[in-house]
Amino acid sequence: MKMNLELMRLIRRITITDINYPAQDKSRILPALRLSVAFLTILLCALSRNAIYVVMIIAAELAWLCVKPPAVIWNILKPVLLSSLFCMFVMLPAVFMGHPRTLMTVSLKVFESVLILSQLGSSISWKKMTDAFRTLHAPQLFVFTLDMTMRFLVILGRYSNAILEAVTLRRVGADHWKNAGTGGILGTTFLRAQQMSIETSEAMSCRCFDGEYRSYRKHKIGTPDMLYTLLIPLLVILFVYTQKAM
Amino acid sequence: MHIPDNYLSPQTCAVMAAVMVPVWTISIKKVKAEIPNVKLPMLGVGAAFSFLGMMFNIPIPGGTTGHAVGGTMIASLLGPYAACIAVSVALLIQALIFGDGGILSFGANCFNMAFVLPFVGYAVTMLLRKKLKGKNAELIASAIGSYIGINAAAFCAAIEFGIQPMLFRDAAGNALYCPYGLNVSIPAMMLGHLTLFGIAEVVYTTAVLAFIRKAAPEMQEKTAVSKTPLPVKLLLGVLIILTPLGLLAEGTAWGEWGADEIAATGAGFTPAGMTSGLNFQALLPDYSVAGMPSWLGYILSAVIGAALLIIVFKLISMIGNSKKENATA
Repeated sequence: MKMNLELMRLIRRITITDINYPAQDKSRILPALRLSVAFLTILLCALSRNAIYVVMIIAAELAWLCVKPPAVIWNILKPVLLSSLFCMFVMLPAVFMGHPRTLMTVSLKVFESVLILSQLGSSISWKKMTDAFRTLHAPQLFVFTLDMTMRFLVILGRYSNAILEAVTLRRVGADHWKNAGTGGILGTTFLRAQQMSIETSEAMSCRCFDGEYRSYRKHKIGTPDMLYTLLIPLLVILFVYTQKAM
Repeated sequence: MHIPDNYLSPQTCAVMAAVMVPVWTISIKKVKAEIPNVKLPMLGVGAAFSFLGMMFNIPIPGGTTGHAVGGTMIASLLGPYAACIAVSVALLIQALIFGDGGILSFGANCFNMAFVLPFVGYAVTMLLRKKLKGKNAELIASAIGSYIGINAAAFCAAIEFGIQPMLFRDAAGNALYCPYGLNVSIPAMMLGHLTLFGIAEVVYTTAVLAFIRKAAPEMQEKTAVSKTPLPVKLLLGVLIILTPLGLLAEGTAWGEWGADEIAATGAGFTPAGMTSGLNFQALLPDYSVAGMPSWLGYILSAVIGAALLIIVFKLISMIGNSKKENATA
């Protein structure tokens, strides 16, 4: 039950992010470009053989983060801290085997990568993210599956949350009944998901949507985009320089 | 003035930490009562100023170095209790991430720099503000307060160092921890602080306060803004860029040597407590990253430290706000 509630909370966060952030997403930079830079930074971080590059990126990310409002900072940092702590826990045997630096290196890389993704997720609405994937020529099936997964996570999450609340309110008595309740919720949600997938398919046919995502947003490439593009060679140069420093 | 691990006995460290617990408790209560939540992020900015001030090392003849702390400056802006919390958090980040100041001696460092310094500095400042008159009376009062505050803190640190060989010795009569007695520690600590480091604290405090009074006077008001004024952000940025100046000072501050250095300082031996004591590996030891030019490591450390402090206090303000909302709901 508790686990289910935690899942509901996570799903709620996605919903809230998608509802709240379009208003905050004032960036004039092409989302696809931001996504590319984020992926490149994470890739270079993973390839980095020393901590210099990672520390430099973390410093820049933290400087950007500290000027944000407290609620946004918390939304971004929560998954970062959780994943870093989990990584430290998983890497703990390295300390006992005499490699404490490995724990720090891997945890720093996880911290940096999740921080970048979390910042990206908090500043780009899900709609723009789908658009960015299409601009980057991600396969249709991949974008469709990703988009549907996110939407169904939210819808089914709300649905199962409603049932869970109803069951919790009526829950009185022996333990076996509670377990039956959990199975019941999952089963009902699964049946509902099946029904909704058929409805979605019908709705797609009605609207002549064949699963192909087209970008209708015309983004004029401006000076901010140009300046942001400069980050790509800069990041690569920085990476090469920092690897030589080792 | 950052006392490293193994310079003080675990017993001394425990006593100092125990002394700080009620100080922190009262300070948190006072800050909650006196400072509105929207103004709490300013504590982060104050802590960032203190953190950066401590990175500007100043050399004095004899090979030792020291720095300003900025505790009286924060106390003048936000009150002594807020200064206590702000400097404590700055010291915690310094100890955990940059290895500046020990983990065990964190309580002692907080006692000196987060309790004695801001409270003495603030008390003197308030006393002088009543006595002095004129346009710059507040600044002069803060300047004198900061000078007395940092010297009081240095004196406390000197006593903590100096009592170690009196209290903790091995069977051969050698000191287990700090090998220098009061006859050495007090002159060694006070000489630097009564001269250059004290002046550095005065210059840092008055320069920042004068800048804030001119560029962002709203920061000095009790019910002031929640957002950091742009000139203050710019000043933080300039200080971060200038931090590599602290590298010009060669040598280690008195009482901050490593276990491998202490024998060469005149002690003639390495105390047993230092060789077998706690050896905490910080993430960015001495504000540097292996393989990175020291000036770049210093700037990055300054950015990370200042940003972390601002983030921590912003999150604390958010927690305070949500608690108030829950209470009113």
